[in-house]
Amino acid sequence: MAKELTPQEMLRIDLTPPNRDWMDIPTVIKPGIYCYPAKPEKVEVLGMPNPHVWSPLDDDWGLPDDWKETFLEGMRERLNKHRSFKIFMDICVRCGACADKCHFFLGSGDPKNMPVARAELIRSVYRGEFTKAGQILGRLAGGRKLTEDVLKEIWYYMFQCTECRRCSLFCPYGIDTAEVTIIGRELINLFGLNINWIQEPVANCYETGNHLGLLPHTFKQNVEFMCMDIEEFVGITIEPPFNRKGAEILFVTPSGDVFAEPGIYTLMGYLLLFEHIGLDYTWSTYASEGGNFGFFTALDVAQRLNAKIYAEAKRLGVKWILGGECGHMWRVVHQYMNTFNGPPDFLEEPVNPLTGTKFENAKSAKMVHISEFTADLIKHGKLKLNPRRNDHLKVTYHDSCNPSRGMGMFEEPRYVIKNVCKNFYEMPENTIREQTFCCGSGAGLNAGENMELRLRGGLPRANAVKYVHERFGVNMLSCVCAIDRAVLPASMEYWVPEVNVCGVSELVGNALIMEGEHDRPTDLRGEEIPGIAKAEGEEEVKEDV
Amino acid sequence: MGRKLHKGLREILEQKKGPIVEKWRDQIHKSYPPETAQFLKREKNKFSNPIGSSIEETIWPLFDQLIGEADAVLTKKLLDNIVRVRAVQDFTPASAVQIIFALKPIIRKEIFSLVEKKGLVKEYLKFESEIDRFGLLAFDVFMECRERVWEIKRNDLLKRPYLLAGGMCPSYMMKRGIKHLEKLKKEITQH
Repeated sequence: MAKELTPQEMLRIDLTPPNRDWMDIPTVIKPGIYCYPAKPEKVEVLGMPNPHVWSPLDDDWGLPDDWKETFLEGMRERLNKHRSFKIFMDICVRCGACADKCHFFLGSGDPKNMPVARAELIRSVYRGEFTKAGQILGRLAGGRKLTEDVLKEIWYYMFQCTECRRCSLFCPYGIDTAEVTIIGRELINLFGLNINWIQEPVANCYETGNHLGLLPHTFKQNVEFMCMDIEEFVGITIEPPFNRKGAEILFVTPSGDVFAEPGIYTLMGYLLLFEHIGLDYTWSTYASEGGNFGFFTALDVAQRLNAKIYAEAKRLGVKWILGGECGHMWRVVHQYMNTFNGPPDFLEEPVNPLTGTKFENAKSAKMVHISEFTADLIKHGKLKLNPRRNDHLKVTYHDSCNPSRGMGMFEEPRYVIKNVCKNFYEMPENTIREQTFCCGSGAGLNAGENMELRLRGGLPRANAVKYVHERFGVNMLSCVCAIDRAVLPASMEYWVPEVNVCGVSELVGNALIMEGEHDRPTDLRGEEIPGIAKAEGEEEVKEDV
Repeated sequence: MGRKLHKGLREILEQKKGPIVEKWRDQIHKSYPPETAQFLKREKNKFSNPIGSSIEETIWPLFDQLIGEADAVLTKKLLDNIVRVRAVQDFTPASAVQIIFALKPIIRKEIFSLVEKKGLVKEYLKFESEIDRFGLLAFDVFMECRERVWEIKRNDLLKRPYLLAGGMCPSYMMKRGIKHLEKLKKEITQH
């Protein structure tokens, strides 16, 4: 597909692209947009089909001889299994309501990134191969046959969708294009064509419990490493419990919080919060990953990786599970976990041990979001806070796609932020809450080699951040997702370099007044807080909000 | 920066500013596929159409800079507004900055007969060289953006040193990566 340009082609400057039907515009696979292919040994770990070495820039992708039959059979199986997929293939009237809602379309200007067009890549194969009208009338009925080029095009664009579901919000039929991508990726995985940025974390997670492949002692060491920083910056000693049987609560967070900057500061926030309230909880070095890149591979892989959470909760004998700041983890927890691996009858309905609040929304899956938990503690006056420690920050909040559109959590993080920060500014209405724009790198696309794609996808979000930066002087973009924390710094570096990124719990950690703390001239990053020494001496600190 | 434009020519350009800039905007839109061009033109909300709105917000003041006494900082900022996006999209460097040179045929078509009538051809040619200069400045901006993309790629890698660690302790590697990054930044500032 991609090829070297001839000298004649190099001399040509395209000023206006051709006006042709999308099926006639060949897809050219370009570096900077795609992610590197999955390493064979990482495909083998899970016993997935056709592990092999290949490159998207080669003509030969190393497909098995019967790839076409396998693809169509896989599609048939999924059309029968998932009623939603069948409906989404049939009912789209191509009204275009979703067309301009995708961050990748808005940032790239590539019409094949309109959600309707991206789904059409698969839908056209469905029509051409599965419906009578398509089989007889072909293109007249919007159908086409499955060829290698069609497969390559599907592959290219399935990894230009972050499954954020913004498009589905605007579809009058409720078509969830993310589900089309999910199935599209499942089909791609029938030939070992996953990307390595997803496959390797999946393999690691399967073998060790977390995406990075941290072994138990390393996981523990990393958390302890953050405790050393807390000792330096806060002046207290924390000894977090690991794999403790009989604890009331199991805490699970994405491993990005354990090893990636700035997620580690969010983790320090969790540690301080739990210490502050004397929570009876435990970390697990086995259920050491809340995230689930299996969800970006195939649903059965997601199920296998998710199983460890309930299994570990059962082994440790906890009453319920508390979850950290993660994006897709919460879509899996909220919409899939109970049917994947539940119901968890051995767990109790989550109750906040300090306030007595019953988390009825988590009655079934038995897992509570850290922002819900923190908001409840603040509401009941259980936290001693000094929001002045965040006074130098002008904060805005990025609703991460999955906690907002996937589980409907809008108010809790905002309530927490407003109680730990004085300066909070919302981005424009059509870029937050249900209508939030994706960070541009979700669903396993947070690699480095596809940076151009990430920056395109990040544009609509960055555009809104730029607006509040210019208007209110916003300098901190907070969020509740580990992928956001990992990728938004790069997007900000390119689009709005004056703005930094943090987790909500980091802001909480900075504001918490810990018993026995020393003078805290620095924040959890070890950076000096401008004007804090003077301000603390002037007035009394705010307590029991 | 910039040279003072002949008063008579400037008057003509100011008079024809509306149709020139509108045609210029259409030309920039048309550098995208037809479906996208339609959308860029149609959607007026700044946040629902970041590319279209930044084009609209940029080209009018940029044209003013071109026919006035250009302010170097503002001109670069305006060029950045439209080139930064194109630097990460499916454009070759030539077609990314071509949008500046696209002004030439548009203006020629719009005012050249009048320019000839008023005997301002010599001044007009000098003005076209000014457009060329803006085009070259746009290329500077384009290259700065591309360099930035590579810096970001490098920083991203350095922030994730465990990828290169080959089994070393991630926390140690992470600290080392941050230190290395700081050292690099220092070196860059010193130079």
